[in-house]
Amino acid sequence: MKLTLHIWRQPNTEADGEFKTYELPDVSEHMSFLEMLDVLNEKLISEGQEPVAFDHDCREGICGTCSLMINGQAHGPDRETTACQLHMRRFKDGDEIWIEPWRAKAFPVIKDLVVNRSAFDRIMQAGGYVSVNTGNAPDANSTIVPKQNADLAFDAATCIGCGACVAACKNASAMLFLSAKVSQLALLPQGQPERKSRAINMLKQMDEEGFGNCTNTNECEAACPAGISVENIARLNRQYVSAVLTSRD
Amino acid sequence: MSWVTNAIKSSIGRKFLVACTGLLLCGFLVAHLIGNLLMYIGPEVYNNYAHTLHSQEYLIKIAEVGLLVLFIAHLWLAIEASGRNRAARQTRYAVKKSKLPNRKIPFAITPENYMLVSGIIVLIFLCIHLGDFTFNLTMPEKIEGLEPYDKAIVIMRSPISAIAYVIGSLLLMWHLWHGATSMFQTLGLRHPKYDGLTQNFGPVFATIIGLGFATFPIYAWLVPYNPPAPNPDAPEAHGEPDSHSMNTIPAWQPASDRNELPG
Amino acid sequence: MSVLQSNVPDGPLSEKWTRHKNNLKLIAPNNKRKYNIIVVGTGLAGGAAAASLAEMGYNVKAFCYQDSARRAHSIAAQGGINAAKNYPNDGDSVWRLFYDTIKGGDYRAREANVYRLAEVSANIIDQCVAQGVPFAREYGGLLANRTFGGAQVSRTFYARGQTGQQLLLGAYSALMRQVAKGKAQIFSRQEMLDLVMVDGMARGIITRNMVTGEIERHAGDAVLLCTGGYGNVYYLSTNAMGCNVTATWRCYKRGAYYANPCFTQIHPTCIPVSGDYQSKLTLMSESLRNDGRVWVPKKVDDNRPPSQIPEEDRDYYLERRYPAFGNMVPRDVASRAAKERCDAGYGVGEGKAVYLDFKRAIEEQGEKAIEAKYGNLFHMYKKITNENPYETPMKIYPAVHYTMGGLWVDYNLESTLKGLFVLGEANFSDHGANRLGASALMQGLADGYFVAPYTVGNHLAANDLERKKIDTKNPAFDAVEQDVRGRIDTLLSIKGRRSVDSFHRELGLTMWDFCGMARSADGLRQAIEKIQTIRHEFWENVHVTGTGQELNQELEKAGRVADFLEFGELLARDALAREESCGGHFREEHQTAENEARRDDENFAHVAAWEYQGDDVEPVRHKEELEFENVQLTQRSYK
Repeated sequence: MKLTLHIWRQPNTEADGEFKTYELPDVSEHMSFLEMLDVLNEKLISEGQEPVAFDHDCREGICGTCSLMINGQAHGPDRETTACQLHMRRFKDGDEIWIEPWRAKAFPVIKDLVVNRSAFDRIMQAGGYVSVNTGNAPDANSTIVPKQNADLAFDAATCIGCGACVAACKNASAMLFLSAKVSQLALLPQGQPERKSRAINMLKQMDEEGFGNCTNTNECEAACPAGISVENIARLNRQYVSAVLTSRD
Repeated sequence: MSWVTNAIKSSIGRKFLVACTGLLLCGFLVAHLIGNLLMYIGPEVYNNYAHTLHSQEYLIKIAEVGLLVLFIAHLWLAIEASGRNRAARQTRYAVKKSKLPNRKIPFAITPENYMLVSGIIVLIFLCIHLGDFTFNLTMPEKIEGLEPYDKAIVIMRSPISAIAYVIGSLLLMWHLWHGATSMFQTLGLRHPKYDGLTQNFGPVFATIIGLGFATFPIYAWLVPYNPPAPNPDAPEAHGEPDSHSMNTIPAWQPASDRNELPG
Repeated sequence: MSVLQSNVPDGPLSEKWTRHKNNLKLIAPNNKRKYNIIVVGTGLAGGAAAASLAEMGYNVKAFCYQDSARRAHSIAAQGGINAAKNYPNDGDSVWRLFYDTIKGGDYRAREANVYRLAEVSANIIDQCVAQGVPFAREYGGLLANRTFGGAQVSRTFYARGQTGQQLLLGAYSALMRQVAKGKAQIFSRQEMLDLVMVDGMARGIITRNMVTGEIERHAGDAVLLCTGGYGNVYYLSTNAMGCNVTATWRCYKRGAYYANPCFTQIHPTCIPVSGDYQSKLTLMSESLRNDGRVWVPKKVDDNRPPSQIPEEDRDYYLERRYPAFGNMVPRDVASRAAKERCDAGYGVGEGKAVYLDFKRAIEEQGEKAIEAKYGNLFHMYKKITNENPYETPMKIYPAVHYTMGGLWVDYNLESTLKGLFVLGEANFSDHGANRLGASALMQGLADGYFVAPYTVGNHLAANDLERKKIDTKNPAFDAVEQDVRGRIDTLLSIKGRRSVDSFHRELGLTMWDFCGMARSADGLRQAIEKIQTIRHEFWENVHVTGTGQELNQELEKAGRVADFLEFGELLARDALAREESCGGHFREEHQTAENEARRDDENFAHVAAWEYQGDDVEPVRHKEELEFENVQLTQRSYK
């Protein structure tokens, strides 16, 4: 199939970006979306042009590196799918495709479609862990976790940290990302001792990074390739308010 | 008390307060609607209610101040949050599409995307409403000395007011459609067992409140009504009222018909 | 006597590690802050080591090429992690886990290392649970286990099909905690390009900041390489696109020995290659073979769709050849059998695939039961191939998955270069010639949490590094940095006519054809020649766009492919020198009459460790003889 691609090109963070249009004449429907970009880059290199920079690594939907806004949808049209798992059979001959980077003040563009998501790491540093040093763990089966809680914690823990929630949210809020980690640890006995400080500190960091607030539009849940539920945001709200009202700090 | 200011400044604290103030305002709406519905029982019942209410001078003052605080807080928090939310994305997308299954249109005109807009329009309407009823600014000479029931009918029989009241009520409905569901999520009140209930609460509540209020201007136009003279010292303005014939002609009839009435 | 001192402590197998720990030198708690440790790679091994060392009080600098430490490729591991907990009460023990791992590795691993691995395996599960890793649980709230290949007990802990992800996020969160405390620093989007040796000890690294292009110097008292395997030398593999050999290869060129590079694991059940543009292969879990039946048509070039091929025209070749184990033969055997059928012309699809059929399982157990077991895998298969495996058999083919070889290390995980420690897949130590399922996660975390933190301290104390402080102004850094800059400038200045990827693809094809599932002396000699030719053309004709002072993905790839082009040759040389078939290494000359692998314990029960001698000079092959005092060597048979 033949495609027309409108791709955001931006040499670096400071420079202004713009859309450039490329024609790709021979796209096989069996290609993945990123392989289609590989083919484009191969073509650009052969013409002596700069290839398009885009983030990707595992190409099997788990590392969370790929981050493309495809025709206005984070990771493209399919639900619970990352851009690397998207296949060209989803498009048809003659289609025009707009490809943009994640856009958020907290995710500055580094180059073309590559953005800086280190804000997520800093949110994690603010409390996304259980304080246990190597070697001082009790026997694994000494902690009993009801299966339902373990399953819910697992569902929250599957977040791949790609940032699609931020990209899709009209407020560029990272509330789904934050709530997934807070929920995972709030649902497990291991997370209880630091439950209050975790919710307060991680939220504070999220606010400081310049992410927006949640207005419950549920776009994040729809865009999330790991299928994280907004129920976690409700849990985060509960955790946060009770932490603020009852913590001794 | 720095924990209080910190909490209020935080994004969750802020939206929690928006939800709380919204919830209280919803309570006011319910009370207000129930009070107004007394109009349908009869002018005497409604007038009685209004007089009793207004005789509680201190309570009214407290309630008015409270409501004012709620409105200002709700609005101020929302405007502030909205500004921050806009700042969180400086470059807009060239193309943006929802991935929600029930929302395929780009930038769908859905309540949740326009809460600030609907909220501000509701605010403007509220100002008009207060101007009409509380401060008697819009038609002071027409309503002076009228009983509450008559005053309401007279005000809403003005075509501009009627349209404003219907639009205001419908926008309030639109605002509540999202707000009254969203507040459960914000307050953390979620459980799979009750999700169905909370998901539908907003639309049902919004419909009841919005349509409930919208009935009043419509009623005012449909009801056969003869307003008593605003100023009993100037009978020539209306002449001798012929209550029987006046009562048979509703306000929506063409003006020419009304001109032919005996006067 | 060999130059390779394994430093395995004396004493009975089960007491070696305890005794060794008792003898290791310690650094006093308040002195630890005087030492700087460099950790390269933030996967299971690197993340765990960086977090543990920082917890102990050392200053840790952790480097990764990804944009976040959480994205290392350990995250993609699906199945699970082994541990000798014996929770299911089926008679498991440290000894059994040790024995299964040694045997599964075809007797090419060091006994003491493997025993230690089995010993600390239980602590890993404790540690991860305490971190909040949501392992699968039974209804009573206790941990659940499942069975994996090569074992007769249930000892695999798992978190649905995402065990690697959950374990990695556990290690990552521990590391993030140390970053918040100021004990660890993360350098993401930084690629290690060379090692700096000062007075015979590894004391620093040269990195490239992948965002600004800046070449940076980092000094420390020890360097830990946790940089994963070299599977991408085949171009197509289940590795992530960025996985590379550069860090270990640069250390090899600075004097570390490379051990057993020919031991590569080819996983039998992957989604086959289609088209020339394919960039990456996707694994379908080994568990599918519990219910799926592998077959090809009995006739060559039978182009009928699978549904129209009647039972009598199907060849269930695994069940035919290995009646005892059937479809559940080990990975290496299943992979070779698939290749043999396809090479003989019976392959389906584009000729490079066999069917994995669930028809009988669905008939017997119902679609619901199969969906409950494999729903997510079937869904993934459909997403990629657009075919519904409930209705039509899956097409699968083997693909490169894991590499058992790596830098040679002693019992302390220290390479032949003092102060250079190698952990996880990057070293060679624990899996011999073949790795069992669910053992990679175990090894990475064992090295990172429970081994290196002790042995690194010993190195610091024993060598009195407190009195040997250096900084990045040391002249040794000048020389290495100049090398690094020179290489980058050369790559950028060639401006030839071929893209980096085209060379990588060509190298990959050569490796796959001649050093893949079956190797012969003749083919390997051809491969060495071909690799040299590709390498020479690369340095004359590669086109790297852009400059060095920016984010330049072509330049990153070029550096990695340049190293693969050298490394591939060493892999072929190692395969040529190992005149036997064992585990993942199959030499056509060394097979039984029934086409099974024939090991040569008399001549090859050793580790081959290669020493660099200079570019275009043949490296020297050293041997570390493997002594088996506790297990009896037997020939594997699955008939």
